[in-house]
Amino acid sequence: MIRRGTEKMKRVTRLVSTVVLAATVAMPLAASAADRSVKVLGWGAKSGPLKSFGVNSEAALRSAIAQINAAGGVKLGDGSSAPLEVISYEDSACKKDQNIAILRKTTSTTDAIVGMGATCSGSCQAMFGVLQKKVGDSSDSGVQMPILSDTCIRPGLAKISEWAFRNVPNEVAMYDKLFAWLRSENPDVKTFSGGTETDQGHSFITHTAIIVQAAVRHGFEWVGPSVPELGPKVKQGMKELQAAAKTQHWLMGDTNYSVQARKIKKQNPDMILVSSHPFSACGFLKEMKRQKVKPKLLVGLTSSASQETLNGCMSAAEGLIIPTGFAPITPEAVSANEIVSEAGGFLDLHSAAAWENAYLVKAAVEKAGISANSDTVAEDRRKFRDALASISESAGLIGPVTRDGATGEASKPYVYVQVVNGEWKVIHDPR
Amino acid sequence: MDDFWFEFVEVTQSIGDGVLFGSTYALIGIGFTLIFGAMGKLNVAYAAAAMAGAYSSLAIYILFDAPLVVIFIVSAICAAILGYLVYLTCFRFIPVHNHLAALMASVGGLFFIDEVIVHATRGSPLAFPSMFSEAYFEVGPYGIRGDLLFVFFIGLISTGVLLYVLFRTRLGLATRAVAQQDVAARLCGMSIHLTNSTTFAVAGLLGGIAGAMTAAAVGILSPVMILPLTIKGLIVTVIGGLGSIPGAIIAGLFVGGFENVVMYFRGIDERDMYVVALLFIFLVFRPNGLFGKTITRD
Amino acid sequence: MDYFLNLVNTIGIHTLLGLSAYILLLTGQLSLAQAGFFAVGAYTAAVLTVILGWGILPAIGLAMLITGLLAFLVGFPALRVRGLMLVVATLAFGEFVRMFFYNFRWRVTQEGVEVGPDGTMGFSEIRYFAEHGWTSWEVTSLIWVFVILVMAIIWWADQTRSGAVLRAVGEDELAAGTVGIDVTVVKMAAMTAGGVIAGLAGSLYAHQITMLDHHAFTVLLATFAIAYPILGGVSNVFGTLVAVIFIQGLLVEGLRFLGDWRMLLFGALIIVVMNVKPRGLFDSQTLRWIKSVLRLHLSRRIS
Repeated sequence: MIRRGTEKMKRVTRLVSTVVLAATVAMPLAASAADRSVKVLGWGAKSGPLKSFGVNSEAALRSAIAQINAAGGVKLGDGSSAPLEVISYEDSACKKDQNIAILRKTTSTTDAIVGMGATCSGSCQAMFGVLQKKVGDSSDSGVQMPILSDTCIRPGLAKISEWAFRNVPNEVAMYDKLFAWLRSENPDVKTFSGGTETDQGHSFITHTAIIVQAAVRHGFEWVGPSVPELGPKVKQGMKELQAAAKTQHWLMGDTNYSVQARKIKKQNPDMILVSSHPFSACGFLKEMKRQKVKPKLLVGLTSSASQETLNGCMSAAEGLIIPTGFAPITPEAVSANEIVSEAGGFLDLHSAAAWENAYLVKAAVEKAGISANSDTVAEDRRKFRDALASISESAGLIGPVTRDGATGEASKPYVYVQVVNGEWKVIHDPR
Repeated sequence: MDDFWFEFVEVTQSIGDGVLFGSTYALIGIGFTLIFGAMGKLNVAYAAAAMAGAYSSLAIYILFDAPLVVIFIVSAICAAILGYLVYLTCFRFIPVHNHLAALMASVGGLFFIDEVIVHATRGSPLAFPSMFSEAYFEVGPYGIRGDLLFVFFIGLISTGVLLYVLFRTRLGLATRAVAQQDVAARLCGMSIHLTNSTTFAVAGLLGGIAGAMTAAAVGILSPVMILPLTIKGLIVTVIGGLGSIPGAIIAGLFVGGFENVVMYFRGIDERDMYVVALLFIFLVFRPNGLFGKTITRD
Repeated sequence: MDYFLNLVNTIGIHTLLGLSAYILLLTGQLSLAQAGFFAVGAYTAAVLTVILGWGILPAIGLAMLITGLLAFLVGFPALRVRGLMLVVATLAFGEFVRMFFYNFRWRVTQEGVEVGPDGTMGFSEIRYFAEHGWTSWEVTSLIWVFVILVMAIIWWADQTRSGAVLRAVGEDELAAGTVGIDVTVVKMAAMTAGGVIAGLAGSLYAHQITMLDHHAFTVLLATFAIAYPILGGVSNVFGTLVAVIFIQGLLVEGLRFLGDWRMLLFGALIIVVMNVKPRGLFDSQTLRWIKSVLRLHLSRRIS
């Protein structure tokens, strides 16, 4: 009995000493963490069909923050250093109510100074609506919490609230330059046509108001009835949208694309736009391949510049050209890509933004000079927001990201990638 | 005249494509109708189990580098096993007359299967190998997809086999007996659970084929396809008449063709709206569907 | 605190949604149209407060009236069919409503900014509560006044003859008809009441979430609406509340620490509950048990 007791005792001691040893090894990192850390909380879709978005962004955010901490963390207002800490990365399932719940949870139960979410433009739009519209407006009882988003890409979202910030590509500029370049490279390409998924707000609005318009502007000719120009501003008016009504439409969960593909085949355009997410883009591309539609140029939606497209339809997507805000073309991007892959994610235009956001948080924290005490959270959040709003340029993975302080929108460098032999290749670098 | 001819070709071509594609709706509809016929209950998890069958066959195809032909068989078997599991978890232990609880449990089953698929694939669409995808027959002004034709024939064959089993074998006799009068069937010494579980497995077999067919016809498998397929399957079942296999087949092909015509003329924004309107018309003018028997009081 | 109040609000809104299906379930009808009524209520109330500048209470009132009327109109053709046919017919209605809002646009310019429903792009910035400086407590109070009111009315009705009539129709239509109950009238009344409550839930939802689009009103929401009363049990109104707390409180929010395994457990737990308690989490048995425990407790205290 006693023997067994001492045996047990010994085992416990051994366990305890191992833990202590492990703790001392980890000490140099943990030492500064012991007193203070700058907390952030992230969220994204980690369940449901868009799971990959959340998983990739989480891997990127955590890896970048680990890298920042390994390099000494961030400087606080009193000159001391503290590590950044991801309190958790929640699953918002791409649902509006869950997004709002997490936002309120972050605001009211944690010391996080910034929320970093979320997947899906629609749910971001709901979340931004819950925020206070104008900073310091005491008549507005909206939530006061800075949000720095990586995936809410639908045009114009950040203007809903002054607390909302995005690090997403500026699609207007991206596609404008793309078609200018395509125009000069392919003088023989004259007509174009295409399609989009109408149940995804981002795809639909980007296709009708941005992509088609940019192509028209650069002298490509819509087959059939001509599309009137919208002018420089992205408007969402009914008339303008109807102008693009000759576009083929489908839904994200569709299984049959034969009618749309056949109509495009009949039009026989030189260039085809496929403005949709990988789920339906792949279905449509495969149907075009079956019907032997072979355009000279194939242009896609920026959200499709991802691993998912290759998983779904590597051979049918051959030749697809997409502008994207990320490609491993700089040393930083290459190393980030490796680190994130090791962490179990893919770096694409969305998750690369999550990586950049970690550094953006660092910059804003250092500029704001926050104190990171648990009793100054509200004040820190406000300071952080003001600092973030005043940062007009930050370093991105493939080049500097500029930001318009008034709208909270970013303008990012971009490159054009193409599926060549089953892989994304950078075909042009306009930086 | 030329314009008319051109339009005519386009429309008939769309109908043809839709009808061929409708065979997948028909198979899903048959599955719903079989289970409903046997138990009087709705198995909402059915289409999800069918797609899960297709996913498992894809996994086996990739892992073991299996020949293409095997895909449909593996998918059918996996979906049959899943169908049986759904029966065990969602129907077997719930009191026979508690339809609501069984319905809700199968809704739980749908969520569960859906999320398992997402968890295993991260929700990413996956390329699905299809047979004869290169075959494209040009008959006059028409073009016919070889793979859809193949898919259509597989659908026909499996329906034929099903009808044979149902009307020419003892198993089929038992299924029909339980469906008509479960108390009487039990009194005659039949095991309700055995018959029911067999029905689920058989329906699962068909579902697996339908799942693989859908995936082959689209060329990809993705979790966003499950819910639309479930809804289309239910609509087909109701239009065909609950419990009627020929009804489900005709309704499946009909809905496939119909939605492509609407697609051709009115576009995607109105396609599903017209399908739903069609359903409403059926419910008002033929509440028992194409071939449904008048529901009598038991 | 804000977070918990938000959760309490969500539970309140979903309880109303569940109760709207509960009334129909009492008469033995499984309706997937509730998501449609919910959507109509949400859009109506939001249009009233955002575009027409109404106050929240009149907006909610009119939204309830309109959805009630709609439910009444839909009831006529839909109630011709029963059982699974009704499920699919109401599902079709729900999808029809969803597609209507998918195409619905009404943009007006207010102070230089365009607002209003914008088809597939959704209807955002329904910020009545925030703009009028409502605190979280006030929002929660508003929602729960309605929830308690509706629960009390249904509870009271259930105790009186009307409850017995509803249940009689649910148990056996033919038998109910033979004892002189006008089955159609009873069903239509249940349908209309269900519509009114779903409209109320929707109008509250619109202002809680601030953004509406067709993604929110899919068949999934309709399934949740019937899931609450079925999971909770139809023996009394508290079943629905218990089920909403189980789903929204426990499965959606409570299990967050499980990360991406949470949603896997979601479906599995529904299956488990239905197998273990096929008559619902809070059936008459549970109620009896609670009563007996209370009585025991009281008698002990007295002695």
